[in-house]
Amino acid sequence: MDVSTLFDDVKRMNKRQFLYQVLSFGMIVSSALMIWKGLMVVTGSESPIVVVLSGSMEPAFHRGDLLFLTNYPEEPVRVGEIVVFKVEGRDIPIVHRVLKLHEKENGTVKFLTKGDNNSVDDRGLYAPGQLWLTKKDVVGRARGMLSLLV
Amino acid sequence: MAPKEGKDKDDKPVKINKWDGSAVKNAIDDAVKEVLTKKFNYVENFALMDGRLVICSIAVGVAMFALLWDYLYPFPLSKPVLIFCVSTYFVMMGILTLYTTYKEKGIFAVCIQKEGPRKDCIWEASSYLKKYDDKYNLVLAFKDSKTGAQRETSSKKSVANFVDVNGSVVHDIVENEVTRLHNSLLSERKDK
Repeated sequence: MDVSTLFDDVKRMNKRQFLYQVLSFGMIVSSALMIWKGLMVVTGSESPIVVVLSGSMEPAFHRGDLLFLTNYPEEPVRVGEIVVFKVEGRDIPIVHRVLKLHEKENGTVKFLTKGDNNSVDDRGLYAPGQLWLTKKDVVGRARGMLSLLV
Repeated sequence: MAPKEGKDKDDKPVKINKWDGSAVKNAIDDAVKEVLTKKFNYVENFALMDGRLVICSIAVGVAMFALLWDYLYPFPLSKPVLIFCVSTYFVMMGILTLYTTYKEKGIFAVCIQKEGPRKDCIWEASSYLKKYDDKYNLVLAFKDSKTGAQRETSSKKSVANFVDVNGSVVHDIVENEVTRLHNSLLSERKDK
């Protein structure tokens, strides 16, 4: 019943008005996109806002919480910090705490993570044969949290 | 486009929700535009609208380019391109806002008088309808490109004068109003 009136409105518009409507919609989508890309650039992380997916960091983070990440190269990862990383080959971001860290003089680091609420470290989650994480696996370090307590 | 629109309107009177302020304003604007193009045979000039379309197209184009570039070259590589695109996008938004506020100013129809004794004169129709207010301000401005003279008249009437109880715009009343403003502008000119 409403679809026909919608098409009537569209038919009443001339080409320019129709094009303007299409562009307005495109601008709304583009604004959201540009804000997201802008955040990516500002924080230096490829995914500046992530959602906590499991309860492995309770009581600090619960499932469904939003985390704000930064990934500045001049701030190295340190033990005790909460990092979000992706295991190679899998797209799921994992939020855990750094347990051990090896750092060489040339700046390369290897670190081991573990969830606060887990009883074992994350070696079971890494790729087969991988014992340590490196800088390139890191999506970012947690800086802020928004809990909606659903 | 104008004749095609006219044909649709002649077949079916346009019905709008008379309580929706923006729909009412748009319907009356369309009727005024129709009067100017059909009755006085002025040619409609789309320069203002085209300017707005160009700015929007550039903004959307920049956003799509950023999306594509980031897809092809994942994040850390695409950083400089992204910075450029994001800042360009927001600058375009700013330009668009300035454009609609200062250059367009509620003008919905610009017509050029091509024939007759006064050639290449520009008529601009703009209107204002405040939110939840029923007073429709119609401003008709006349610019003579030869002498550079510029005059405008306005009429402020309730929308109830133009829209009947069913929600259709009564073209005859709109036509009378526009003709009245139009002739007053022309007669002023003759006096000078």
